Amino acid sequence: MAGNRMQKIGSVFSRTRNLLRIGVIKKPLWFDVYAAFPPLREPVYRLPRPRYGKVKDVVRPIFYQEDEVRAKFYKVYGSGPRPFNLSQSNYKSTCQRFVEKFNELKEEGKIEEEKLFEETGKALLASGIILQRRGTDKVAQEDHQGVETRGSVLHLQLQTVLEEIQGKKKDQEEQTPELAETQKENPLPS
Amino acid sequence: MAVPRLLRAGERVVPFPARPARVTPPRVTPPPPRVSLPAAAPRLYSSVPAPAAAAAARPGGKCCRAPAPSPGKEGGGSPEAGPCTPGTSERSVDDKLLSEPLSHPDFFNVKELFSLKDLFDARVHLGHKKGCRHRFMEPYIFGCRLDQDIIDLDQTMQHLQLALNFTAHIAYRKGIILFISRKRQFCHLVESTARECGEYAHTRYWQGGLLTNAHIQFGPGVRLPDLLVFLSSLNNVFEPHVAIRDAAKMNIPTVGVVDTNCNPCLITYPIPGNDDSPTAMELYCKLFRMTIIRAKDKRRQSEVFNELRSKAEGN
Repeated sequence: MAGNRMQKIGSVFSRTRNLLRIGVIKKPLWFDVYAAFPPLREPVYRLPRPRYGKVKDVVRPIFYQEDEVRAKFYKVYGSGPRPFNLSQSNYKSTCQRFVEKFNELKEEGKIEEEKLFEETGKALLASGIILQRRGTDKVAQEDHQGVETRGSVLHLQLQTVLEEIQGKKKDQEEQTPELAETQKENPLPS
Repeated sequence: MAVPRLLRAGERVVPFPARPARVTPPRVTPPPPRVSLPAAAPRLYSSVPAPAAAAAARPGGKCCRAPAPSPGKEGGGSPEAGPCTPGTSERSVDDKLLSEPLSHPDFFNVKELFSLKDLFDARVHLGHKKGCRHRFMEPYIFGCRLDQDIIDLDQTMQHLQLALNFTAHIAYRKGIILFISRKRQFCHLVESTARECGEYAHTRYWQGGLLTNAHIQFGPGVRLPDLLVFLSSLNNVFEPHVAIRDAAKMNIPTVGVVDTNCNPCLITYPIPGNDDSPTAMELYCKLFRMTIIRAKDKRRQSEVFNELRSKAEGN
């Protein structure tokens, strides 16, 4: 009983075909099936050589137009108030709603580009989704990195939070006292 | 064994030899019943003349046992393996039986078993991170979203259709299919899939010579699998499974699910897709099980139909 065990030369099919041509083996079960339905690429062995020189990434990165809005949303508000529920395939996260609202307002075209972000935030607030900012204390932390102790940074965070709340209270009259309490209670995630 | 407790003041640990040695009588295991491998797994030894029929107590070491295949199967069908069929008329009928499915592009209609949405919901498109990517998987990758590779599901659909079609034809021709996966998380799933199909599975440590040294490990005249299906083509140390290379050596075609960190070169019909999520693995198992059962049913139907027709012609 003959055979060809050289897996690095040619493919399984080519080796079997040649052995059949010589007449040393019987036709195997799969031969006709392979001949009728060959794969898209012949399974020939290739040496996995690493790329030399300047390595160009062949695979393109996937980005969408909405990613700019998403990036800004996450930078300003952190991850949204609600956790993602991945078990539902049609789940819409806070960020997704924000993006959709943003696009709607952009299409309407009545608001300027710079104000669009804040307007979307206000619109979402009107529809009942509460967003907590986290932009300011991130900046404060970067300034005092490694110099201040943890206590003073926390103190600074609380101060900025207090200022924000006072500022927001002046801006938006829909703020309820409950909301202020929740904002004071949890130190912002950073 | 005494429960360990804290030592009191002045107490010392009693060293081992001072304790009375526990004497257990040497275990004498009764010798395993002598069942010949050909009797236990008749499908694998079709070319070996059957000895006196002994009750099949335990299956041969390597495979999950299939539900008992009837000995009638060996005599009837394939002209390739096994004893030669008498009479040219039977041979021509068999040839027609085997060649007819090859003329249709999708004889077993495997396309209807899955859709793009099914693949997406089962998270088949999710690959590993950019750093784990294998160079030869690049053509199958759609893109990279925040460093995570996303597999191109259009290509996966094509490859999956080809692979399932091939599997169906092999099952139709009564080929032996061996499922291989070295993922502990899914080993039970793979074994139960194989059991339900009536095929074989190997989800444990792969000994070196299982395929290449089969005639010594399993006895002379053993029939090797006609198709290996890899539900995960890596082993536990993230290297390509030895069986891929061994199958290429023994000229056995392979079908395999290749993730973004796998090498698809030697696999005959690769299926680029996720092999880590439970939903994806369940989907693959379901698809393979359905195709194999469908193909076997079709074969039985065709044989019965042919028998009836030949009887009608004879009368």
